[in-house]
Amino acid sequence: MIEGGWGYIWAAYALTAAGLGVLAVAVALRQRHWAQRARDLDKAGRE
Amino acid sequence: MISFFANPARFMAHSAWAMPTFAVAAAALFAIGLPWGLLYSPADYQQGETVRIMYVHVPAAWWSLGIYAFMGGASFVGLVWRHALADVAARAAAPIGATFAGLCLLTGSLWGAPTWGTWWEWDGRLTSMLVLFVIYLGYLALWGAIEDEEKAARLAAILCLAGLANLPIVHYSVEWWSTLHQSASVLRSGGSSIHPDMLGPLLTMAGAYAALFAALTLMNMRAAIFRRRVEAARLRGAS
Repeated sequence: MIEGGWGYIWAAYALTAAGLGVLAVAVALRQRHWAQRARDLDKAGRE
Repeated sequence: MISFFANPARFMAHSAWAMPTFAVAAAALFAIGLPWGLLYSPADYQQGETVRIMYVHVPAAWWSLGIYAFMGGASFVGLVWRHALADVAARAAAPIGATFAGLCLLTGSLWGAPTWGTWWEWDGRLTSMLVLFVIYLGYLALWGAIEDEEKAARLAAILCLAGLANLPIVHYSVEWWSTLHQSASVLRSGGSSIHPDMLGPLLTMAGAYAALFAALTLMNMRAAIFRRRVEAARLRGAS
């Protein structure tokens, strides 16, 4: 049986958390940006 | 179902509640699956503690294939029926699939180092997975390179459909060629051979990845629809 290996395990979990976290934040920010632009446009159209 | 969501206004109304629902489901499943896999699941009799990498690696692998199949279906619908949201869905899913494929390669490398004694091997499974990752990047680059969205959608859909040929190669590579990578232990004929104590966290993490994919794809689709609305208004203002 392979002994230890916790360094590899933690690295894999940290990499996954960082990768998925950055992806989620980037997607959420992009959606918020365009939603805000569309809302501003609707507001300007009503005025 | 397909024609039901052809109306962007209807899609926006339904995705407004579906998106946070999937996001909460993803957060809950990760909150259960991560500590379960990392701390509370048993060690493997051969791989020892390093088997825990499976809980982040295997769902990333499964869903990078699943997302590409989804993109293939959406591309087909977009090409054949000119569905208003099919191309938007395929494009929205691509960065998520590319991230999953990249994480699959990196975590696989971190798993390979202690178990195989090498970070990388040009065998069938690893190479076909790398090809899938490159196809994802090529698909995204193609969308970015062509200004005319209609033309970009058509060419990207053709590339996506051609790339579908790689999916069975990835899946069956461990059976077709002699490889360092182990053969399938869950998605195989004859049923799963994995111990139930390991299957629980693995399926929980697979559910978390799926819910995250659904939430982020819906977010990307909503962003694309908002952007189109803004750009259409800008064009109307310019003319």
